[in-house]
Amino acid sequence: MALLETKGLSKSFGGVQALQDVDVHIEEGSIHGLIGPNGSGKSTFFNVISGVYRPDSGSSVLFDNHEISQLPPHKITELGISRTFQLLRLFLEMTVLENVMVGYHCHTPYGFLSPILQGSKVREADEKIQDEMIEMLQFLGLASYANLPAGELSGGQRRLLSLGRAIAMKPKLLLLDEPGAGLSPVNVDHLMHTILSLKEKYKLTVVVVEHILKVVMNTCERITVLDHGQKIAEGSPEEVKNDHAVIEAYLGREMADEDIRQVIRA
Amino acid sequence: MIGFFTGVEAFFTGLSRIHRLLPWILAYLLLLPLPFLLKFGISEYYVDLANRACLFILLSVGLNIVKGFCGQVTVGHIGLYAIGAVTSALLAINYQLPFWVSAPIAILITGLAGIIVGLPSVRLEGAYLALATLGLGESVRIMIAVTPAFGSSTGIMMIPEPKIGEFIFNSFESYYYLVMTCAIIGIYLSFAILRSSTGRAFQAIREDAIAASVAGINVPFYKLLAFVISALYAGLAGALFAHMPPGYLHHNNFTIIEMVTLLLMVVLGGIGNIWGGVIGAIVVTVIYDQTKDYYFYQPLIFGIIMVVMVVFMPHGIGGVVKQAMIKRKFIENQEESRGSA
Amino acid sequence: MKKGNKIISIFVLAGMILSAASALAGEIRIGITMRMVSENGQKYGQMVMDEIDLINQAGGINGNQIKATLMNDECKSDKGVANANKLIFQNKIHLLIGSTCSSVSLPIVDVTAKAEVPQIIPHSTNGKITQKGSAWVFRVPVSGRYYAGVNAKYVGENIGMKIAYICAADAASQNDCDAMQKQMRMQHGAEPVYVAQVQEKEVDFRTHMQKIKSAGVDGIMVAALAETMARALVQSYEAGIGPDVRRIGSSSASNAPVPKIAGDAVKGVFYAAAYSDADTRPVARLFNEMVRKRYGIHAPDHDFSQAYDLIRIVEIALNNAKVSLTSSSLKADRAAIRDAIAGIRNYQGLASGPISFCSDPSPVCRDGNKTPVLIAYTKGGEQYETEILARVTMPIDFGL
Repeated sequence: MALLETKGLSKSFGGVQALQDVDVHIEEGSIHGLIGPNGSGKSTFFNVISGVYRPDSGSSVLFDNHEISQLPPHKITELGISRTFQLLRLFLEMTVLENVMVGYHCHTPYGFLSPILQGSKVREADEKIQDEMIEMLQFLGLASYANLPAGELSGGQRRLLSLGRAIAMKPKLLLLDEPGAGLSPVNVDHLMHTILSLKEKYKLTVVVVEHILKVVMNTCERITVLDHGQKIAEGSPEEVKNDHAVIEAYLGREMADEDIRQVIRA
Repeated sequence: MIGFFTGVEAFFTGLSRIHRLLPWILAYLLLLPLPFLLKFGISEYYVDLANRACLFILLSVGLNIVKGFCGQVTVGHIGLYAIGAVTSALLAINYQLPFWVSAPIAILITGLAGIIVGLPSVRLEGAYLALATLGLGESVRIMIAVTPAFGSSTGIMMIPEPKIGEFIFNSFESYYYLVMTCAIIGIYLSFAILRSSTGRAFQAIREDAIAASVAGINVPFYKLLAFVISALYAGLAGALFAHMPPGYLHHNNFTIIEMVTLLLMVVLGGIGNIWGGVIGAIVVTVIYDQTKDYYFYQPLIFGIIMVVMVVFMPHGIGGVVKQAMIKRKFIENQEESRGSA
Repeated sequence: MKKGNKIISIFVLAGMILSAASALAGEIRIGITMRMVSENGQKYGQMVMDEIDLINQAGGINGNQIKATLMNDECKSDKGVANANKLIFQNKIHLLIGSTCSSVSLPIVDVTAKAEVPQIIPHSTNGKITQKGSAWVFRVPVSGRYYAGVNAKYVGENIGMKIAYICAADAASQNDCDAMQKQMRMQHGAEPVYVAQVQEKEVDFRTHMQKIKSAGVDGIMVAALAETMARALVQSYEAGIGPDVRRIGSSSASNAPVPKIAGDAVKGVFYAAAYSDADTRPVARLFNEMVRKRYGIHAPDHDFSQAYDLIRIVEIALNNAKVSLTSSSLKADRAAIRDAIAGIRNYQGLASGPISFCSDPSPVCRDGNKTPVLIAYTKGGEQYETEILARVTMPIDFGL
């Protein structure tokens, strides 16, 4: 069954067509890769799905049987989509624990007026949330930093924290925007391992945008390839690897020896 | 020094484990004899100073919610203060309503005005928002200045003091118990709100509005909520100011200069630090009072303080203390875990 | 936990307490709160302090020195009230001088009445100050209620009934503007031809001037603070309103910046005041000379003369008051000083008329000067000159 299905998804900024009629189909429980060269529309795809941008009219995004294309971001999160950002966007001046607790926001069991009227209820609820979050931080190996400002973490720890914040939203679908950017190959492997175990632990469906093709090829079950805002291929890693259009998009047009000679001569 | 603060904090956390209101009740009891200590220790005047400090605490704690915690640069807070003051005063004078009725109405009306001041924040940020709120705040003052019914140039006179039965809050000491109680309740509520998911939502918006919205926070709603809560504080402070003897209001009390003083309190105490607003209000009120004799250099003194704070202590006095406390705790924890290992 | 820090904070607190408890007996303590913002305001505050120093140097009052404390209220009521409270309860003053702004004096009247401290006002003109019925307040200057009467009388008899008004939003100007309109109505049954409400620091009057020009008026009343008034006067000529239309100034027309900024546009502008530097009496000549020398003011306006008169009145009252100046006699001393000021009769100083007080807490008794003069500018610029148009003593209950 498809958890997320887009039909004719388009987004243009002024004259620039960032996404054009993209149809993507993401199976529940799968781990789905999204690749493409720079500027191919991967991040825009995420921004549109998570509600940061509103797609052009005529687009349809069906998530868990809800049409979400016109919803504001917080509604989409409530329905069960969470995401990370390429630039992390952590709440740097808040503590590590607070960062993940913000992620928990829409599952808070009390209303915004309760702090004034029902202090003890809020306190009990918050303590319960805290315990739950500390447990998750332990899983990520961040528990001992729980009360430090997020700004004092190292780069790798910050990536883990951004993952933790997304998990705290208790999503059904997790969108990861270049989770391995800036990490050494060893660390990337480690991170992918963590992501896979999180997926198992929390029964997630995952979509990964990644530049490092090796990571995507090794972990993803299905892969969608975007180029210039259009879907150019979709399939298993094997299928995509050998797809003519994909190779062209990444390496440029395949050239026969004769063509190369001509180019050099000219 | 930091040890002292961590000690106090540990003590109060211990108390709050017994009952969450216990630290507040203790703090309240400790503050009860203050006017007598001041009156017989220094002079009666310091009770008046404490009263004004309490008003400023309410204002700066409220401003800290929207500015410090939610990160919305507002310069319209003083206009809300004016609305609270004038509304309560007019209700008391024109309709003979007692303070206990006029003040809550004034607070509610100020809360509604808070929505209007906050509306630009949905679309604007930073300097643009500051300009929009500045316009709204100033227009309140100008409205008061040109409308005879709002006092215009002569001001509103003879605003009655609050009273319960025959007891009238017309002395420094009696008024102290009124404003101090309000200030303690105000600080307590600000803690309750800011330490809940609402407070975390405010801070998340300050840090990164897009990440906050993706984390499931209804950003426009919480921005407005921050404005409304801070407006309620300003309304309460305004009503208390209006009815404080000698019960006189003039639009000159609500200019941009007063707004800058308020901002100074928040910056000095620590943006985004609840105690910061309290510390800032007390420090600025006391410095202002103690430098009265050197009025010529006062703007210079405050200017220098502002620059030094922004450059060297961007998180204010409260921020410095808090950071030191967090580091100390972290080191202690590390040592503990090393010791146990 | 470091113990040293705790001990330091206790010392700091103890220091605060000790420094505050040093209120000495055997001196007369006077507190002053004024608007020490403009250059004029500062020189004027300085003159008050200098005059008190001179009294001290000459041996003080009956052998007692005066200790004066000057505070700035920036013309803001909350600061003025805080100053008054500090002076009364912390400095334990015997007498409060202030404030210069009506909107600050108004609330302070309640403070001094409740604390039972005599208050003497240097130049707030708002009529309500003495109408509050405080037994502790005295006003040296001419009350606003007289000014309007004099202006309206002169305008009605010598200029005409068609008057346009430009009223700025500050307390004094609003008061002057309203009172003048009321008096024109009462004395001559004349309704205003045009009324423009403008900001306290308005810069652009052109549209108003055009409308006034087309209305064809006999006179324009410009009620505003000095700089604003000067701008309005200049723009009235720029709009083509000729010198045959007389310009009437509000009480702040007497301030030096008006002729300095307005230049030739100030010629013919007349206003009611309590003092004219064109006064030919020897005492006035000496005073003008003194102010010019000491403070570099070309021609002192009535703000200076009233402050000077106030100090002289205070000097006389203090000399007459039976005070014991011990820490236990504070309440009695304050009452004695109040009664001594209330005993001042027919003080002839720089002011346009004699200043008298009496003990009844009513405006009749507490508005000291009842004789405004009408003054007209004859020359503008740095070396401005004035002449006295008329000197009018009003009935003591006028405008009540």
